[in-house]
Parts: sequence; structure tokens; C-alpha cells
Amino acid sequence: MSVQKSWSELQNMARACRIVVNALDALEAAALAGVTTREMDRIAREHIEKAGARPAFLGYRGYPATLCISVNEEVVHGIPGPRKLREGDIVGLDLGCVVDGFYGDAARTVAVGRTSEEAQRLMKVTRESLFAGIDTCHPGKRVGDIGHAVQTHAERHGYSVVREFVGHGIGTSLHEEPQVPNYGPPGRRERLVAGMCLAIEPMVNVGRSEVDVLADGWTAVTRDRSLSAHYELSVAVTQHGPWILSEPYPYGQAEAANA
Amino acid sequence: MPEARRPLPGTRETLEVGATVREALPNALFRVELATETRTSVTAHVAGESSLLRLRPGDEVVVEIAPYDAGRGRIVRRR
Repeated sequence: MSVQKSWSELQNMARACRIVVNALDALEAAALAGVTTREMDRIAREHIEKAGARPAFLGYRGYPATLCISVNEEVVHGIPGPRKLREGDIVGLDLGCVVDGFYGDAARTVAVGRTSEEAQRLMKVTRESLFAGIDTCHPGKRVGDIGHAVQTHAERHGYSVVREFVGHGIGTSLHEEPQVPNYGPPGRRERLVAGMCLAIEPMVNVGRSEVDVLADGWTAVTRDRSLSAHYELSVAVTQHGPWILSEPYPYGQAEAANA
Repeated sequence: MPEARRPLPGTRETLEVGATVREALPNALFRVELATETRTSVTAHVAGESSLLRLRPGDEVVVEIAPYDAGRGRIVRRR
């Protein structure tokens, strides 16, 4: 069972999501060669706290930082540290915050300076996969339809999607029901209803889909050490279709009351 | 932040391991020795295919083991 949110709860969700995306904008601008991943974490924390929010990941199941920063073959959950970003790296930035008890969660992969054509193509396809998933978020569809749309798009371009980690419901906790895999057959799993909030987050690899978790217990890397990209947005299902919570409500004010 | 995948309710997550048949038991059961470092013996039944019923000691097979009972397995195919 997933929790359906009321219109006023969705407003709170939107506030948290906007704070995250604004912070990601700042982090994207700061991702320059020579900057350490720990410095990026500090920037993330400053932005979140200045906006009156609290980091959502810090302390979550013992996670030690505000930001997850995953460089090149790192898929997700990279822990900030002394590593310096280098020209040509692609950097997954995953960030979450809590405001008034509501969680926002988003991620994107950015390039440090100029990067390879392959890396650029990977980022483009992963981002498109996210939007393919978001576009299926209409009431009556199923969670499996989202994963199917994501997987179909990524594999059409010769990439693979990670299975071991999945998107999730989001609301008054960081991870709520249902789980949202980025793969699988359509027409399966939970039915989407208006008021559900989902964090959809494709993790796409250039090579094979398998991942390993490093000895730090968090950092996931591709087993074949191929490049990996990750994009995530928190989305509400409304009766008119998907609402990307970090953006303005797209279906007009008159319709807002009965979203 | 992605969540670690949980298996769907009602699905089984099994582990496939190589093994050698040691002894044919009654009722189409076999005692097999796993090709792991500990060389554990498990009782295994055969999956479907009747060609697997004619297994003999020494045959190399693949055994599927459920996390709930590590002492029992299911012979999936020859190796």
C-alpha cells in the first residue's frame, strides 16, 4: 500500500523537492576539476540548511553525508571524501532534504569540463529514460509500466539498467512503498492512483547491469567498471498525469483543487 | 537515493551452485556434494526433466538452494 497525499501535502512535497533541485543547480555549477567531493558535500549541506531544510540522507541507515556523489564507474551511494574531481569525469549527484516532515529526493549526472562522446550519450539516454518513466505516471497504469518504459528506452540504445537498486515511494519518509524498479514487464505491480508520490531513478550502465558494493558498505560500482549515470526526480501522480514536484503544477490553477 | 531491491512477495531467491552426485537415494533423491570450499553434502531432488532421474554417482550437476533450508536442494541441470 502506498500513501495517497492530499493537495496540501503535495504542496509540502513540492517545497522539499524544489529545495533539492535548487541545490543540485548550485552543485552542477560547482562541479569543476580540482574540487573535492567533500567540498561538494559541504555546498549541498549549506544550500539545504540555508533554505530551512535538513539533509535527508545524513544518518539514514548510518549514511555519513548529505550528498551521494558517484564518479564515473560508481553507480550510486558514493561517499564524499578527499577525492578531487578531474576534467572529463561524470559525476552523479544525489541529494535529499526534509522540510516540515516531507521529503524531497532528486539526482542528476553532470560532466566535469569536457567529457567523452560516449559519456555524453550515456547521460542523455539516462535522462530520457527517466522522462520515459515519468510520462507513464497516469492513474490506472502500473508501477511495472514505469520500469518497462525506462528499460526499453535504455536498452534500445545498447545500455543496461541496474537491477539491485530501485526507485521508491516518497513522502513523510525517504523510502515508502512501493518500490519502483527500472526494469520488468509492463502491467505488473501496484496500480498508480492520484496522490501517489514516486521517486523514479534510472541507473544506466554502458556495459553490463551487474553492480558490486565496495567495502565501505555504500559505494556501488559497475562490476565491469563501465561508466554509469543516474537521474532522479520525485513525481506525483495526479488525475491529469505526472507532476514533477520540483516544477510548477502543470495542469492549470482551476484544476489544482481536484488534483 | 535508491533503495536496495527487495524480492516481490511470493518469489524465491535461490542460489545456484555446482555439485557432484555422490549417492542415489530412494524417491528420486540424491545426495550431492557442493563444489564449495566446505564440500557440504545436501539432499537434492530433481527438477522436472526425466533425464535427470538417471543421474549416477560422479555426475556433475547444478543445484539450486533456497535460503530457508541449506540442507536441501533441487537439481536443475547437468553441468
